Amino acid sequence: MKAIIAATIIGVIMMFASILSNNKSGIVSLATVLFFFLFGINIWEVYESINATGVAAPAYLNNMMSLDSFAIWFSMLMSGCALLYILLLGKEIAKVGKHVGEYFALIAFIMVGIYLLAGYSNMLMLFIGIEILSIPQYILAGSDKRNLKSTEASLKYFLMGSFSTGILLMGIAMLYGATGSFDIINFRMLQTDALNPLALSGILFLIIGLGFKVSAAPMHMWTPDVYDGSPTPFTAFMSTIVKAGVFVAFLRLFHASFGNLTNHWMMIVAVITATTLFIGNITAVFQQSVKRMLAYSSIAQAGFMLFAILSVNATAWQGIVIYAVAYSVATIGMFAVLIKLKDYTYDGFNGLAKKEPALAFFTTIFLMSLAGIPLTGGFMAKYFVLLAAVQQGQVMWLVIFALIMAAVSVYYYFKVIIAMYFKTGEAELNHEVTGYDKLMLGITCLLVILIGLMPQLLLNL
Amino acid sequence: MNQLLEISFSSLASSIHSWLSSAIANATILNVVEMAIAGVCLLVFLVPLCFVLGYMERKVAAFMQLRLGPNRVGPKGTLQIVADTVKLIFKEGLTPNASDKFLFNLAPIIVVVVSMLVMAPIAFAKNFQLWDLNIGVLYVTSISSIAVIGILMAGWSSYNKYSLLGAMRSGAQIVSYELSVGLSIISIVIMTGSLKISDIVMSQADGWWIFKGHLPIFISFVIFVIASTAEINRAPFDLSEAEQELTGGFHTEYSGMKFAMFLLAEYINLFVVSAMAATLFLGGWMPFHIGHWEAFNHIMDFIPSSLWFLGKTFAIIFIIMQFRWTFPRLRVDQLLNLEWKYLLPISMVNIILVTIMAIMGWYL
Amino acid sequence: MDLFEAIFWFLTAMAIGSALGVILSRNPINSVLFLIATFFAISGHYILMNAQFLAIVNIIVYAGAIMVLFLFVIMLMNLNADVEPQKSRLVQFAGIISGGILFLLILAALRDMKAAGVIEKTATDIGLMKNLGKTLFQNYVFPFEISSVLFLSAMIGAMVIGKKETLVIDKN
Repeated sequence: MKAIIAATIIGVIMMFASILSNNKSGIVSLATVLFFFLFGINIWEVYESINATGVAAPAYLNNMMSLDSFAIWFSMLMSGCALLYILLLGKEIAKVGKHVGEYFALIAFIMVGIYLLAGYSNMLMLFIGIEILSIPQYILAGSDKRNLKSTEASLKYFLMGSFSTGILLMGIAMLYGATGSFDIINFRMLQTDALNPLALSGILFLIIGLGFKVSAAPMHMWTPDVYDGSPTPFTAFMSTIVKAGVFVAFLRLFHASFGNLTNHWMMIVAVITATTLFIGNITAVFQQSVKRMLAYSSIAQAGFMLFAILSVNATAWQGIVIYAVAYSVATIGMFAVLIKLKDYTYDGFNGLAKKEPALAFFTTIFLMSLAGIPLTGGFMAKYFVLLAAVQQGQVMWLVIFALIMAAVSVYYYFKVIIAMYFKTGEAELNHEVTGYDKLMLGITCLLVILIGLMPQLLLNL
Repeated sequence: MNQLLEISFSSLASSIHSWLSSAIANATILNVVEMAIAGVCLLVFLVPLCFVLGYMERKVAAFMQLRLGPNRVGPKGTLQIVADTVKLIFKEGLTPNASDKFLFNLAPIIVVVVSMLVMAPIAFAKNFQLWDLNIGVLYVTSISSIAVIGILMAGWSSYNKYSLLGAMRSGAQIVSYELSVGLSIISIVIMTGSLKISDIVMSQADGWWIFKGHLPIFISFVIFVIASTAEINRAPFDLSEAEQELTGGFHTEYSGMKFAMFLLAEYINLFVVSAMAATLFLGGWMPFHIGHWEAFNHIMDFIPSSLWFLGKTFAIIFIIMQFRWTFPRLRVDQLLNLEWKYLLPISMVNIILVTIMAIMGWYL
Repeated sequence: MDLFEAIFWFLTAMAIGSALGVILSRNPINSVLFLIATFFAISGHYILMNAQFLAIVNIIVYAGAIMVLFLFVIMLMNLNADVEPQKSRLVQFAGIISGGILFLLILAALRDMKAAGVIEKTATDIGLMKNLGKTLFQNYVFPFEISSVLFLSAMIGAMVIGKKETLVIDKN
């Protein structure tokens, strides 16, 4: 709760900062300090929740939120990722356009949405959370107004996103019709023996609506264009932290409410997972631009995260946390490297290892993590979600399929590494890589490896 | 005390109701008949009202410009407006060839119907009201905001750039000035704690809000008058029909009776906003009372409540008509600046003041 | 059939008819006007359920403000029936089939549904402003307050998107 309030206030402060000051780097430093502060508040909240277990939620929440230890822990991790994001890409955000303070304000508001989605226990809060998450994204996607592609991305995202929100609302309305309640706890009463068909169609609509937000195939059509068209710093944010937030909302709903209805929706989600993995990985192979490849790879990674939703058990919850953090950290790092380059195609990476050996090394680590090579965070993440699916035991065919797809993904991730180390060329940089950049990228790399070696650090539930 | 003198509108209405209920047994039919009677009464009230307002407009204009005004048809020119009406009725109603015929003909009807609908909750006299719904003032603001759809329709369907421009201007104007109107209405709602028109009038039994409410309510009164003048597109805010720039604005292509309907709607709207100002700030039909001056208060009570109401309403109409000949027309950017940069912030601060006043009980 | 029922059926027919008009009419302006009619019909339903505040707010917000902006945009862009892009036959066919399947699915779901837990109510006092305010500020105060974040971000968005961006010379 404190974090929600703090993030809102940070958003408002950033808004006013942009009125009072024109100094871009000053605003970036202010944002960095404030996000440090936000992270601190999250840690304080975690500390409190450890000390005070079993304390009832405040009455004014009226069962709208259940800020359990998982919600608070996950919020803390996401704030950490957001802080890392601002540290790595803060200066790049300032270069996107004129309204720097507003961009940070919107990012702070997105964090509010993520906190809401991490701990909601009422469909109203799910809806408001999704909206708070989505609307700033539409704006961030179109923030580079001098670029036609950015405008196209914004409009496309807005139109399709509002349509999918409509479908989500329709699902919520159907569930309300079936149960007479918005409380996700009450949905547990939907028993398998006398199941209301209205509830079933509601669940179907919810799968479609939430599937759109996490860019699961076949609701993924918007993803490449939006991620490709948006300004790169914001693509980094949208494809990582935001997506992880929506996944936790998805997980919370389907595990807490529909956990005993698995035989009704399991098959649908399994097919969606298979399609997502297939389309994401196979299409990524054929991309020429690394940015677009990362967009498709984010679809593919969403396919792996869907395993956590498929397998209704405790491991899935652990898996989603590790996956969210490992994927976010590696992808943010990857985008931080990408933005330094002038040319986003594979050829743009040619000979980077000779010119900037440190940068090339970090990129290699990030890409290995995304591909799921052991000793990196990505491996542990994939291991945990697939373990959850194996424990669940109904979708073994899908696990094998996912392993094949993971092997495919190695191809297009390693194409970048090959370009950097084994191809000759002059990788052109947008601007100088400073010592600060190298330090931050180094820290990010260490985090990736740390997660790979000691994933239990993230599971302090 | 004055039971014998009680030939008021309310007793008239209740006796008609009791007579009808004895004559008609079926409740549904009774409802329908009563609604029909109310509608006819409203129409019968509105037509002379528009004649009076039309005449008044010309005479006020003449007065402001040291002219005589209409003085040929009828005594002192009183029948001039009747002659005008007859002329308008017999004129040919043209429909432009390229226009969207259906919408073109629908637009004036919508504008008039909307302005008539707004009359429903207005209290014309003591206990004399068509529909005392418990969100009266909200009803008035919401329905009057529909008029803009009619105007936009008229402007668009005419297939004329002047019409379209006029409609666009008026749309932007109405949508933005609605905010200030709403906020100044809310200041009264905060003081009375009710949206019901009858409650608002009754709360002023011991003094009208403009006197009881000190400066903040006076500020909202002023804002209400300015903003509602703009909302009904009257000068100096009549950009939507600025003759020098747009020929006739959104009704350039209209003629005959369809044009007359826009005129009718304009006068009804003028009456409605003045009546709302009178109800909210000047006590509606409530007579003027001063503290404990019993004798004075009794004398005031002898004046019928309907006269009080109409008197206050026409006083405000008179002020709004004077605006027309006092202030020059604003430019579009000035118009929007006035709302968004001055009136809206002032109203918002004012709302806070009013809230503090209402919580602390700093009024009579 | 008493007056109440007659009005109910009239409003229902009007709501569904105008909703169909929204999607079937070729001219965008007509679609918007149909949508306004739909909102009016729905407001009428609210009034029948004695939810007057909701009815009026529906009119103020949707018919009075949002739809006016819709009209504005459509008129400014001068969208006409002939501007509307023509979809190819194949796309139309695919749309009809998938829409029809969805329709069948929902129809099948609704055919043997029972409105569990929802009590049919006609006229209660829950929709009156006083009760609504109490519910809103007691049970639903958190979503009510947090939605201000949503509106604030939308407002910032309007500013960021709408403001003219000229090339700026960075001070640093």
